[in-house]
Amino acid sequence: MTDVEYDVGDDVIAVVEDTELPRRLREKVYETVEKRNATLEQADEIARAVENQYLQTRIDPLDPVGTVSAQSIGEPGTQLTMNTFHYAGVAEIDVTQGLPRLIELVDARKTPDTPMMTVYLEDEYAREREKAHEVVWKIEATQILALGDVSTNVADMRVQISLNKDTLEERMITAEEVADIIEDNLGVKTVQQGTTVEFGPEEPSYRELLQLVEELRDITFKGIEEVSRVVIRREEMDDGNEEFVLYTEGSAFGDVLSIEGVDASRTTTNNIHEIHRNLGIEAAREAIIEETHNTLAEQGLDDVNVRHLMLVADMMTNRGEIESIGRHGISGSKDSVLARAAFEVTVNHLLNAAIHGEVDDLDGVTENVIVGKPIKLGTGDVDLRMGSTSGRQAD
Amino acid sequence: MVDVSQHELVPEHTVLEEDELEDVLAEYDIDRTDLPKIKRTDPALPDEAEIGDVIEIVRDSRTTDQAVVYRLVVD
Repeated sequence: MTDVEYDVGDDVIAVVEDTELPRRLREKVYETVEKRNATLEQADEIARAVENQYLQTRIDPLDPVGTVSAQSIGEPGTQLTMNTFHYAGVAEIDVTQGLPRLIELVDARKTPDTPMMTVYLEDEYAREREKAHEVVWKIEATQILALGDVSTNVADMRVQISLNKDTLEERMITAEEVADIIEDNLGVKTVQQGTTVEFGPEEPSYRELLQLVEELRDITFKGIEEVSRVVIRREEMDDGNEEFVLYTEGSAFGDVLSIEGVDASRTTTNNIHEIHRNLGIEAAREAIIEETHNTLAEQGLDDVNVRHLMLVADMMTNRGEIESIGRHGISGSKDSVLARAAFEVTVNHLLNAAIHGEVDDLDGVTENVIVGKPIKLGTGDVDLRMGSTSGRQAD
Repeated sequence: MVDVSQHELVPEHTVLEEDELEDVLAEYDIDRTDLPKIKRTDPALPDEAEIGDVIEIVRDSRTTDQAVVYRLVVD
C-alpha cells in the first residue's frame, strides 16, 4: 500500500487506490476529499468520476500517435525564429535558439552550434565569490595572451614573454609552470627568469620563429581547452539563499563533473551526446525533452503538450543510443523498403533493395498507401463480424 | 570517478528479477526483445547488470509523477 499523506479515512484510501488512476491524479483526489470533507460515498463518486474522465481521455488503441505528435510539433514550429539570435537567454552567453536549435536536437548533431554548460557549485564554492573563481580558472581555458605580453625579437631570433604577476597569482599558475608547459608543447628549451620566459628556434629561421609564436597562442595553459569563456552569476535558490552559478561557452561535461567544487548532481550541458556519454541513455532522454521543451518555451510555444516531446525522445533513445529522426536515423532504419523510399532519396533505396532482393511485408502505413490498401490504423485494423459469437454474452 | 546515479537527470536503475520480468512481459504481452534497449556500457547501469538482463527504471514523470519503464541490456 502506498503512503497517503492526506487525512482521509482508510475506506476512502481503499476506494481511491482501487481505481486505475495514476499517482498524480490520486493525490489530487485525496486533496479534494480532504479539503471538502467529503463522505465515503461522495469520495467514491468523485473517484469514479475522475477515473471515468481519465479513461476517456486516454489515447485509443490504434491511434496514430506519431503522426499527431509530428503535426503538434510541426505547426508551432512554423512560428519559430529561423535566425539564431545572439546573446539571448542567460548571462550574455550566445545560444542557438528557435528552429535551428530544434533541428539540431532532432538531427542529433554530434556537437551543438553553440555548446554551453550550466555549472552548479557545492558548499562554500557556491557561497564565496573567491572560491567560485577558483573553479572558474579550472574550467576556463587560459591562453598565453591572458597571462602576459608576447614579443618577437627578430634580431636575436627569440620569443619573449613577459608575464603579468597579478594575473599569474589570480589564476594560480607559476612562471615555472608556464615555462614547463611551453617546453612540453613546443619542444623547445626555455629560459625563465622571474616573470619573463624566453625561447627561440634551434636553428635561426624566421619562418620557424613565427611558427612558434603561432603555436604558442594555441596552447591551453590552464583550464579546459573546449571552454572559451565562463560567466559567473549570482542566482537565487529555491530556499531563498543565493548561490554562484557558472555559465560556460563551450562544453566538456565529463571533465567538468570531476572538478573539485562542482556539484555533479545538477550541472548540465546542452550537448545531448555528452549527457549520453557521461550519464547514460535515460538522462539523455530527459535532456532531449528538457531541451526541446525549453526551445519551444523560449518562443512562447510551451503549450505544445509535453507528451509529444516525450514520444520524440522515446523514439530517439529506444535502441540505447541517440538516433536522429530522419534519413540517417529512425526513418532510414525502417524495415519496409517502400516506407524508406517514400521518405527521401527514393531511387537509392529502391535500387539497393532490388540488388539485395529485399521483400516488403506491407505491414506499415506508408507501404499500404502506396499500394492502395487500407492502412492498419484506427478502424483500418479492426475486423468486424456479425452474429457469429454463438451463445457468448457480450460484456 | 563521479557517482552518476546522484545526478538529477539520472533515474533509479535496478536489475529486474526473472520472475518479476515474467509478470511484466505477460502484462504487456511482449517478448523481452521488444523492450527498449540500454547499452552494456551505459554509465547509469548497475554494476551487476549483464547482457540479457532487464533493467527497471523508475522515472520522475512529467505526466504521472512516477513512471516505471524497462530496458533490455544489449551489447
